[in-house]
Amino acid sequence: MGKIKRYASFLFLPLFVVFTYVFMYVPIVVLVVYSFNKSSLPYMWTSFSVDWYRTLFYSSAILDAFKNSMLVAFGAVVLSLLMSVLLVVGLVELRIERLLTMFYGTLIFPEIVLGVSLLSIFVFFSVPLGIVTLIVGHTLFGLAYSVPIIYSRYKEINKYFIEASMDLGATPTQTFFRITLPMLKPALFVSGLLVFIISLDDFLIAFFCSSVSSQTLSLYIFSMLRSGVSPVVNALSTIMLLVTSVVVLVLSSINNRIRIF
Amino acid sequence: MKKSDLKSAIKKERFFFAMVPAVVWQGLFLFLPLLFLVVISFIKGWSYTGVHGGFTLENYTSLLDFSHLRVLFRSFFLALINTTVCLLVAFPVSYFISVKSRRWKNCLLFFLVVPFFTNFLVLVYSWFFILERNGVINKFLSLFGLGVSGPLLYNMPAVLLVMVYCYLPFMAMPIYSSLEKIDKSLLEASSDLGANFRQTFFKVVLPMAFSGIRTGVFLVFVPSFGEFVIPTLIGKGEPFLVGSLVSYYFTQSLSPSFGAAFTSISCVFLVIVAFLWFVLLKLIFTKNLRGSDNGKN
Repeated sequence: MGKIKRYASFLFLPLFVVFTYVFMYVPIVVLVVYSFNKSSLPYMWTSFSVDWYRTLFYSSAILDAFKNSMLVAFGAVVLSLLMSVLLVVGLVELRIERLLTMFYGTLIFPEIVLGVSLLSIFVFFSVPLGIVTLIVGHTLFGLAYSVPIIYSRYKEINKYFIEASMDLGATPTQTFFRITLPMLKPALFVSGLLVFIISLDDFLIAFFCSSVSSQTLSLYIFSMLRSGVSPVVNALSTIMLLVTSVVVLVLSSINNRIRIF
Repeated sequence: MKKSDLKSAIKKERFFFAMVPAVVWQGLFLFLPLLFLVVISFIKGWSYTGVHGGFTLENYTSLLDFSHLRVLFRSFFLALINTTVCLLVAFPVSYFISVKSRRWKNCLLFFLVVPFFTNFLVLVYSWFFILERNGVINKFLSLFGLGVSGPLLYNMPAVLLVMVYCYLPFMAMPIYSSLEKIDKSLLEASSDLGANFRQTFFKVVLPMAFSGIRTGVFLVFVPSFGEFVIPTLIGKGEPFLVGSLVSYYFTQSLSPSFGAAFTSISCVFLVIVAFLWFVLLKLIFTKNLRGSDNGKN
């Protein structure tokens, strides 16, 4: 009897973990499987085909949404990285690191609150909603993630390198571009990927701060879902899952040097 | 002469100028809009095209009725249940990955992180195939003649289930990273010194996981309180939550000032609740720590 009890407690944790992973992945696997279904009726399996992927690449609505998403994501990545690096260097050199708390504030509020407040101020000052307003919103989120990562890396850089560079006659500009920036590179790469993924994931900012002509992929999926399930969305979701997995693999391969979480 | 003076002044203050873009961005697009929201919540009949009335408290007083409070409390309880379930599921899983798994660690971690980074709508969408009328669950049930005639969507339990599903990685990741920081030889030391599993768990593991649990609770509770996508798609507006009401006031009704007032009330409510969460967690954990001190003496 005691033996059974011991086995039960020994097996409980692994079984619980297996159950949780099954719970996490059954919906995803079903989603991926149905993207290869020939039938247009979403829940009836007929036979294997890649027709929906072909449809996906010929759908102008999806391609437009993809283009918009990419444009917004790249804009947000470039802007937030540029501003974070400048900010971090300035903050550390002027020794006013207390100002950093200002950038942690973004994540305290639910996203919907930021969405509606941005919406009301844009409309009030009659800023036309579109790609630009989306980039503005996503850069705000990007800063909240990239500033802490770049800050912690910048603090790790050995100050002697910079001093040595200056002693050997390099100007501050040369030192920045030849010493500081290359040493920040892994942090820039990680935070860039992170901002990119966050921009692609975002729905609420896009929902409030975009117009009909600037639909993103998230908005496209949302509008499709309201009208029902379609295998094209399965194909799209499968590709997005694939992209995410690749990004996670890349991130985890450099995670030894930079801690994301 | 004067020009070079200016140049050297700029050079001297270059660190200050470097900070300007980010600080201005944050001020202009975070603090100003939030302030603006609070201001319009006090203006009578404000609409997007311009200011209409003067200062008023009417927006707030008209919201203090039973139906609005009910939405607030419903969101609160849903977020509370969601956070608790996520914590209860995520902690054992993170513990297993961090402490127990050896060969499978990287693999398990990978499959935990992928949903964390996956588009939220893709995760929500995947549940349609499970819960629809012809979905996986209903097909499985009908094998035993237990099939339901309608979809299993559009109700409170379905919304809660999908919320737990979507927020689980947000709880598991911070807990995992806090557990990962524990020096594993501490656990061995604890058991070598005669502590049983339960003692080691409550007196070594749990106190050291505190920061991760706090971050996880925060990362799950705040967004699930304002959740909009899941109740809209999975619940088709049922249950009616804070997120849906805020969205209604700002996009459909013609009175965003009510929306601003309701958003402000929700934020104050959220701040109070978050504060209570922290106090509660702190209380539980310091009590644990004190318990271990007493044990030593």
